[in-house]
Amino acid sequence: MKNIFPPFRLILFVIGLLLYPSCGEDFLQVKPLGEINAQNFFQEEKHGAWAVNAIYNQLRSWDLVSFPYLGMTDMVSDDAVKGSFPADAERLNAFEDFTYDSRNPEDIRQTWKGYYQGIFRANVAIDGIPKIPKMNESLRKKWLGEAHFLRAHFYFNLVRWFGSIPLITRPLTQDEFYTQERVNTGKVYDQIKSDLIIAISNLPLKSTLEPVDLGRATKGSAAGLLAKVYLTQSDFANAAKWAKEVIDSKEYSLYPDYARLFRREGENGVESLFEIQATALEASYAAATPFNMVQGVRGSPNLGWGFNNPSDDLVRSYEPGDPRRDATVLYVGEVLPDGSGVIEDNPSMENERYNQKAWVESHPGLQDNGPGNIRILRYADILLIAAEALNELNNPTEALKHLNQVRQRARGTRTTVLPDVVSVDKVTLRERIWKERRIELAMEQQRWFDLVRTGQVEKTMKNLGKNFIKGKHDLFPIPQTEIDLSEGKMVQNPGY
Amino acid sequence: MNYKSVNKCFLRCFFVIISIFLGCMNGFAQFRVSGKITSENRETLIGVNVLVKNTNIGTLSDIEGRFSLDVPDKQSILVFSYVGYATKELSVDGNSELNVMISESAELLNEIVVIGYGSQRKSDLTGVVSSIKSEEIQKFASANITQALQGKIAGVQVTSGSGRPGEAPVVRIRGTGTLNGASPIYVVDGLILDNIDFLNASDIASMEVLKDASAAAIYGTRGANGVIIISTRQGTKNTKAQVRFNAWQGLQQPAKLLLLTNASEYGTLVNELSNKAVFADPKSLGQGTDWQNEIYRNAAFSNYNVQISGGSDLMTYSISGDAFLQDGIIKSSYFNRYSLRINNTYQVSPFIKIGHNVSYVQSAANREPGGIVFNAYAADPTVPAVDSDGNFGNTSVLSNVSNPAAQFKYNAYNRSSGQQMAGNAFIDVNPFKSLTLKSSIGFNSFSNKSKSFEPEFFVNDKQRNPESRLFVGNSQSSDWQWENTAVFQKDLKQHRFTLLAGYTVQSRQGEFLGGSRNRLIGDTEDFYYLNAGDAQTATNYQGANTPERYESYLFRTNYAFKDKYLVTFSFRRDGSSKFGSEKRGGNFPSLALAWRAKEESFLKNLEGLSNLKFRASWGILGNDKIPTGAAIPTVTNNLSAVFGPEEALIFGASLITLANPFLQWEESRSLNGGVDIGFFDNRLTGEFDVYHRLTSKILVPVPIPDYVGSAGNPYVNAADVVNKGLDITLNFQNKEGKFNYKFSVLGSFIDNKVISLGSTGNALRDVVVNGDFATLTQPGFPIGSFFGYKVAGIYQNAEEIKKYPNNNPVKPGDLRFEDINADGIINAKDRTWLGSPIPTFNYGFNLEFSYGGFDFNADFNGVYGNKILNAKKMFRGFGIPNFESSFLNRWNKDNPSETDPRITNGGYPNFVVSDYFLEDGSFFRLRTLGIGYTLPQNLIQKIGIKSLRIYARANNLFTWTKYSGYTPEVGSENVLQVGIDRGIYPLAKTVVFGVSCNF
Repeated sequence: MKNIFPPFRLILFVIGLLLYPSCGEDFLQVKPLGEINAQNFFQEEKHGAWAVNAIYNQLRSWDLVSFPYLGMTDMVSDDAVKGSFPADAERLNAFEDFTYDSRNPEDIRQTWKGYYQGIFRANVAIDGIPKIPKMNESLRKKWLGEAHFLRAHFYFNLVRWFGSIPLITRPLTQDEFYTQERVNTGKVYDQIKSDLIIAISNLPLKSTLEPVDLGRATKGSAAGLLAKVYLTQSDFANAAKWAKEVIDSKEYSLYPDYARLFRREGENGVESLFEIQATALEASYAAATPFNMVQGVRGSPNLGWGFNNPSDDLVRSYEPGDPRRDATVLYVGEVLPDGSGVIEDNPSMENERYNQKAWVESHPGLQDNGPGNIRILRYADILLIAAEALNELNNPTEALKHLNQVRQRARGTRTTVLPDVVSVDKVTLRERIWKERRIELAMEQQRWFDLVRTGQVEKTMKNLGKNFIKGKHDLFPIPQTEIDLSEGKMVQNPGY
Repeated sequence: MNYKSVNKCFLRCFFVIISIFLGCMNGFAQFRVSGKITSENRETLIGVNVLVKNTNIGTLSDIEGRFSLDVPDKQSILVFSYVGYATKELSVDGNSELNVMISESAELLNEIVVIGYGSQRKSDLTGVVSSIKSEEIQKFASANITQALQGKIAGVQVTSGSGRPGEAPVVRIRGTGTLNGASPIYVVDGLILDNIDFLNASDIASMEVLKDASAAAIYGTRGANGVIIISTRQGTKNTKAQVRFNAWQGLQQPAKLLLLTNASEYGTLVNELSNKAVFADPKSLGQGTDWQNEIYRNAAFSNYNVQISGGSDLMTYSISGDAFLQDGIIKSSYFNRYSLRINNTYQVSPFIKIGHNVSYVQSAANREPGGIVFNAYAADPTVPAVDSDGNFGNTSVLSNVSNPAAQFKYNAYNRSSGQQMAGNAFIDVNPFKSLTLKSSIGFNSFSNKSKSFEPEFFVNDKQRNPESRLFVGNSQSSDWQWENTAVFQKDLKQHRFTLLAGYTVQSRQGEFLGGSRNRLIGDTEDFYYLNAGDAQTATNYQGANTPERYESYLFRTNYAFKDKYLVTFSFRRDGSSKFGSEKRGGNFPSLALAWRAKEESFLKNLEGLSNLKFRASWGILGNDKIPTGAAIPTVTNNLSAVFGPEEALIFGASLITLANPFLQWEESRSLNGGVDIGFFDNRLTGEFDVYHRLTSKILVPVPIPDYVGSAGNPYVNAADVVNKGLDITLNFQNKEGKFNYKFSVLGSFIDNKVISLGSTGNALRDVVVNGDFATLTQPGFPIGSFFGYKVAGIYQNAEEIKKYPNNNPVKPGDLRFEDINADGIINAKDRTWLGSPIPTFNYGFNLEFSYGGFDFNADFNGVYGNKILNAKKMFRGFGIPNFESSFLNRWNKDNPSETDPRITNGGYPNFVVSDYFLEDGSFFRLRTLGIGYTLPQNLIQKIGIKSLRIYARANNLFTWTKYSGYTPEVGSENVLQVGIDRGIYPLAKTVVFGVSCNF
């Protein structure tokens, strides 16, 4: 074979390949597949609904409803002890013993992170919904109202736990990540209040909600929360005003049976102002929360891990014959609320008793598939806010009316227990109302906030022999990781 | 059909294909030359490469040292090359019989080295390229061939992330340039890949590591962390079929087990920390259960490989089949891989050659039950694995982990099986002698199926599963790459040029699909299909990865003047879809110069000096190893909420993670200076290189404060890092009679330093361990340095607590930290730099001897100067896990220790990040010890075998280290998280016996 020159055409072809022009800009322009990208978000009406639903979604996350939440509300208070086996999640004893610090247990950091992620989602919605080009304006208003309500809810818990905190009201840009500082609690409360005012004006009454929207925040949710915010700030006039607003709206009433209020039939009932919505689907656990599992009965019949057990002190503090005790505490040997069985003794548990309010009937899936709604704000709470504020405003008569309404529902048809309170002495009445709050809302993650708010925390904890240090343990420590990343811009709470 | 029968079937088919191929082969003659090749001392040389100069026509000498070759004309020049010998050129001059003597050369200056998009004579190299040949690659018994680089090439660090069968190690070339994805890229027969798990050692002809910018710049954006070029074996023209067979079998066992407390020791510690008698009489508990014994085993592994290669004057072929079968040292784990490779070329016309390199790989693996290494580490030793009634012990009460023995029964089915087809097809056109046009289409298509099954079971109330569950997942990816290059080569008296120009595009995409169902109708493997589960419990997912696309232009020129002065210039322009449209393009130039001083007249005749070459290079490289979505924020779906009386799950979606549309190329600029030197006919050679590499605008997912609220850390171009280093390689080889010996020593010193941080100026912190960031990246220190408290002693009593006040409450027996800032109180401000996870010195030491048919080799390697954080020891989990025996040195009333704190179960100060948990990571390891015997030819020739070698080899036999964990090699792909031992699948030591023969 002679080495001859190849056909001219072939050379042209190969050179053509080499010089083949660029594939063009389109070739390098790729799109994420199966996902919307940020530039296309908030272009259609439904995007607004999605963004708001995503905030509600965060309410069900582990960080917001399990160890971190229960540890920093019930376990740290005089209502509950860690529970479960002594060695199980031993680190949570730090909440009972006041040995937590800026690093341990990491549950404190999870709370901080989880709430700020909720705030991020609220900020995305508040920032984005006004930009949707064409949509039903009343829907736009309503969705923004929900986002503002939820942001207020997140900040209200954070400010009560940590004191002054970074106040983020829109998604941050890269150069703002490290520059945030803690702003004083007054500013945080101002933001919470202004969010709630927007929510109150934007949101519908519960009675006018479309049925499919049951469970969304309403005007009542926002007004009720606002009353609580004012009470926390000891602004009793405004607390009374907003509590009265809820009461006078006639939207709510007390559910007749206290015990059944916490069963599924009580969910979103007449007494409900706001609940974290959950359910147990058959196929996936996407609609559930870990709340019921963490507090469920440990052992047989097996539904849970057995954490957050009602304390001896709580059990002792009920008035004789108060039926609310049995509705709040599940004992060994007790028949389960749905009659499906009897709680067997688990020898590995110490002081075995469980939070009955977190107990749920059998449901599809495992205990992970917790279907129970988590009660955040209910009408009895509002009545007690009104009672407390009115007493402080020297209106004991009105205060007593609200207080006794709560006691009356608790005693039901019984006549020998829980008599009406009659004292009009301001100090005595104040104590009675505080006590009523503890009992009525026991194991509903309210107690710690009330103890701190009313200044009872030091005395209460000292009485229990706890190593509580005033001026330190009133607030939780800022996670060390946040202090470190801010390179000192964020200052730690005193004592940590 | 089980995997063994698949294997048999596979091998049978394979042999059928090969016989068909061999039957078809024949050749055409033009002018036949034959002859015999001998060494200076008249030994016959087998396998000498004989090539007609400037062509692809060639052959190998046979068992008697004879060769026979058809050459195009009677004036052809033959080139004889052989490992360990100087290449010789000889004109045919019309002779049909040529007897050739070639002489030994300790170093092969004319050895051909593969470089990016081409090859070069080693003597012409201007950049830093290290080469490792097939014999070396096969020395290490591992599924992953990169293991062979460990301790063999200066500047390359290979760290086994874990001993899990089939798992890829972490490879770093010349330190850690970037903060993210610092692994090199692999170029397999021209195909750019990130992962080479599918390759088997026997198929590899050579691996070349491109270390400096000049060598790697031709890979532009993806060259910043170095490039490893892998060439697979090819056939040789005009050679009879050669059959190579290699097989080995061996045994593995954990290289080391940990010292943990036994039952009575554990009982004592639990009582002490609980301050009450949890165990009435700990002494009576005795040894208890050794959980490590429950999970580890001696495991077999083996490898079989057959390769048949050869060629006529119009084609070459190489076909190989390989089976790699490995059981893991943890029960139930295994990795099996079967591969088939066909590399052929066809001379379809005198000026057109086409060819393909294609490999097909099938793999099957089972992963150990999830978390079992930690569970065996943590499980309560007072609990029996199985009690006298045959029930599994309850390890959940105290230690709060699953019973590992029960996990093997209920959680052991975690199968995956993969199929991969990778390769390329190309056409080479030589319109005239000096021009080669090449177009190559490469592809890599991969599919993986995984299945895991858990039956219904009850061990205790925590370790149970009330409904059987099946998870299945399928993923597929397909990459293609189209490469077009033109190479123009011209020799003009004193000038030699090579010009290369090219255009390449590449695309990658992938999809995944999976689901689960509960309540299967049967518990055996034949029911592990979703349809066998209850449809009401079905879940599913499906999605696609954002496609990745690249488009590049490349150019390179090599110029040599008088063969003494060498210049290389290269340039690449890359476009990558990973970046926003504004920042998409990047330009990557490089320049290298070399001077072969030995060729100068004043050195030419210098006695003893056989080589002296100086090299210098500069270049800019890029790195784009970030997730494809990092620049484009996407909306996360299925953030749904429950509403309505029906409690329906209503769809929600939002932005939950910040992304950065301003991302751009990470750039590294490097300077390299080097000397190659050889003495005494290159019996002693040395290579010395110093380098300075500045990586700027490093791409890193920045850990940002939690208050920002982003669910993930956004990527930014964050900081500048410098790696300075010195790589040294020394080789000495000699021969005395039948005794051959070779020593080599290599070392690399690395100094890694962060120069400056990005626009925010904030230090980078990562890896939260017990509430603190364990690593800090700040200017003036190595990347990912450890940060925490320094232990000054133990608080012995209340007076000392007063004397050294602590911000947090402490008790006698607690660790006392140093008051670094001397402000009189120990608090968070007293944390400081504790050490670097990056070794300052990596070294290797290799010995080889052979005498007659016997050969022996020993390879050592080690690192020095790095620290490891023993994070597994810090993790106290959800209960009271078992303790490492070192906790027995605890402080208590009877033992007022000054170094070890009282026993606690987590929390400040005894379990926060401090140098108490930091250990010396230096080690020195006997990595390979091998002996072999090649049988005398007269013995085996009769049975038709050309050569036969039997060998035994041990890997990881001894490791000298102070580190207390399973292995001091603790790798991580993320450079902010290196050197943190959270409990990994332990490394194995292995012994194998094998045989290799040629027919």
